[in-house]
Amino acid sequence: MHLQIKDGVTLDLLPSKQFKTIGIKVDFVTPLKATAITARALLAQVLETSTADYPTQTALARQLSLMYGASFGITVLKVGTQHILRLTCSVVDEQYLTAYQDDQPLFERGMALLRSVLFAPLLPQGSFDPTTFTQQRQNLLTAIKSLDDDKQYLANRRLQELLFAGQPTQAMSALGDVTTLGALTATDVLGTYHEMLAHDAVHVAVIGDVTAERVQAALAQWPLTPRTVADQSPYYRWTPKSQVQVGDDLAPVVQAKLNLGYSLPIYRDDPDFMAAVVFNAVFGGTPLSLLFTNVREKASLAYYASSSYNPFTGTLSVQTGIQAQNQQRVETIVQEQLAALQAGQLEAQLLAEVKASLLNARLSALDSPQRLLNERLSAQLTHAGLSVAQWQTALAAVSVADVQRVAQRVHLQATYCLHGGVADAD
Amino acid sequence: MLTKQNYEQLGEAVYRTTLANGLKVVLVPKAGFHKTFAIMTTNYGSMDNEFVPRGQETAVRYPDGIAHFLEHKLFEKKDHDAFDLFGKFGASANAFTSFTQTSYLFATTSHLHENLDILLDFVQDPYFTPATVNKEKGIIGQEIQMYDDDPGWQGYFGMIGNLYPKEPLHIDIAGTVASIDQITADDLYAAYQTFYHPSNMSLVITGQLEPDETLAWITANQAKKTFAPVTPIQRIASPQAAPTEVIAQTTRHLAVTRPKVNIGIRGYDPAPTGTAALTYSVAVSLIFDLLFSDTSDHYLRLYDANVIDDSFGYDFQIQRGAHFGQLAGDTDHPEAFVSELKAILADAPAQVQAAEPQFDLVKREAIGRLIGAINSPEAIANQYSGPLFGETMLFDELTVLEQMQFSDLLPVAHAFFDQSVQTVATILPEELRNG
Repeated sequence: MHLQIKDGVTLDLLPSKQFKTIGIKVDFVTPLKATAITARALLAQVLETSTADYPTQTALARQLSLMYGASFGITVLKVGTQHILRLTCSVVDEQYLTAYQDDQPLFERGMALLRSVLFAPLLPQGSFDPTTFTQQRQNLLTAIKSLDDDKQYLANRRLQELLFAGQPTQAMSALGDVTTLGALTATDVLGTYHEMLAHDAVHVAVIGDVTAERVQAALAQWPLTPRTVADQSPYYRWTPKSQVQVGDDLAPVVQAKLNLGYSLPIYRDDPDFMAAVVFNAVFGGTPLSLLFTNVREKASLAYYASSSYNPFTGTLSVQTGIQAQNQQRVETIVQEQLAALQAGQLEAQLLAEVKASLLNARLSALDSPQRLLNERLSAQLTHAGLSVAQWQTALAAVSVADVQRVAQRVHLQATYCLHGGVADAD
Repeated sequence: MLTKQNYEQLGEAVYRTTLANGLKVVLVPKAGFHKTFAIMTTNYGSMDNEFVPRGQETAVRYPDGIAHFLEHKLFEKKDHDAFDLFGKFGASANAFTSFTQTSYLFATTSHLHENLDILLDFVQDPYFTPATVNKEKGIIGQEIQMYDDDPGWQGYFGMIGNLYPKEPLHIDIAGTVASIDQITADDLYAAYQTFYHPSNMSLVITGQLEPDETLAWITANQAKKTFAPVTPIQRIASPQAAPTEVIAQTTRHLAVTRPKVNIGIRGYDPAPTGTAALTYSVAVSLIFDLLFSDTSDHYLRLYDANVIDDSFGYDFQIQRGAHFGQLAGDTDHPEAFVSELKAILADAPAQVQAAEPQFDLVKREAIGRLIGAINSPEAIANQYSGPLFGETMLFDELTVLEQMQFSDLLPVAHAFFDQSVQTVATILPEELRNG
């Protein structure tokens, strides 16, 4: 069930008796601005820490424990041209608890907690608590730096920076950058908070054994005002460069991480979208794929070799973990797999198996409340949610020629290798 | 044939049987689910590196990493790869090896019967040759190196290595590039024949399934095969490091931006076995929650002092013949991290007593988390304890948890902490190597 609650505010209710929990998700969506990404990331961190009613982390944590381990979190993410600040809360459906005697059902308490977080943050003297603010700014700073400890993540970040040099909203991670962060004040972030509450598109989604009346009654307690939301395309369109960008860095790693970035200007609303999904699954998106089979299984050159496709930014990327001295060989094998698909060389059996595996994944998602909630966002952004049956029909219709046509639109844009240098050779 | 156990409050039921060949079968249907998850497990993991091979009389020490190597190789057959068979039906298949078990699994939304046959057939039909074994060395070598670059894994294994310097627990599950190089096809057959007998294995299936029909498929599959008679498995008891041999602390330098500290606490008390071990484990986990969760007074104090941050975490686990707790986190103040947490540990039973007002909170939280996990067919199947906790399920853990009283915790706190020995494994950024 999909409802427009007021201008710019929507509610999706996914009634289900399949789960033992009731899940709530709230997305605040706004066009990406390089200057605002970092402030929103910090805002998420500050809001998650405390509220006026629960003024310390301990008070908030104890409230969540009291609510039978309700899970609560705020994350930020980028989808195409949009930045999303997402609150999630999941509570146990008390019909599964022996002798639940608290005076309010857990769903209503979850909604009340989110209301407290969103509309009654800890603002002594009208500003974010200075101690909390400084501490959370520092925490975010270290979190951003620590992300680079994950070398696969780091290699992917560097690849994005190469792919989108000069395009800061795309080059930057959803958490922002440390330089901007260091200069942010509590006043800046308070401004970001008010801006978000007043102007962001708001998409609420609820899944579980709960009625529309209960959800609407709880949501009516939130002082959300109507807002005018510009209907901006979520798709980031860009002009590919004529020359491949090449980068590498020396780092104390044992295994080299070789990542390749391609343009693939097929977006979520493109008639070839489903063909692009299948192309990616055939190329490197599944363990049946050409990359997995040829780089790992046949040549024993890597433990992982996979591809991923982003239908909001029109990009395809390849990730591999290899020995540095094999870089050229791996690049050649990857290029050969792409060339084969561009030439229409795809066995009917592999195509059928990849489709079966995509269908399996799609149906499996119906068993995950988290995924069901999260996928409401792309339906919101694209105004197009395919039903499972429609999706299945579209999948079945993808032919070898469709995959070939998609493959021909894939162009290498950037190559990045993070490696240990001479010490890596053995 | 199947015995049914109801968990009425949860609206769940578990169906069990043991086949004539000894294979334990556990079925948990989940109404409304699209997916079926199946996991077949042998009670054989990285710790089991010295044993008497089936049909022989003397014990053999095998190269480190052999259980994990066997896991990889079991998928490959003479003329096909089992992955591809699952792939025909779109099922996703995988496998993993831990200290004490090796598991093979798949998830599917269609063709359950066919996928079950593929699982049973590939696990029960080994095919190892020198050529295929040698080919795998490159892939596993890359996997080992991937973990070499994972500071979290390095910190965890550094801690385990310090706590269990003599026990095979300290050996990385995948072995080393040098140790796996020694593995032969004959070694794999010896390990296989010893540990992959159905009587040493279980098959747990959860999600969309009809119990009687599913059991009939399994029984029919097994009836077509012959198995050796059941013989006892003779593992060579691992050496035990004395408390004084536990390595008190180690420091390594890696490519990390901030120091990482892992504090390990090794229990030397005789931990219970069977279902009593589940009760013990639930109690110690609640004790850790009381002392270190974000509902504790210590947490906020240490957080506000910048000693710990959101990366802080802890856990407690019981393995066959070993049990230990872990406290881990990134910190800019590793010395304070160690001294503050050690101070709490040194006084643990009294600290538990002081945290009594939070008992109801941590218990509620643990109950809620368990119920949430029941949403996941994978979690239900993966939490099947096997022989470790007397074949119990997640649902049984919930029963134990609901019955747990605060007064149950103090004796356990004394038992575990009074005889425990600690270690600290620190990972520092490369830049601090000379400074």
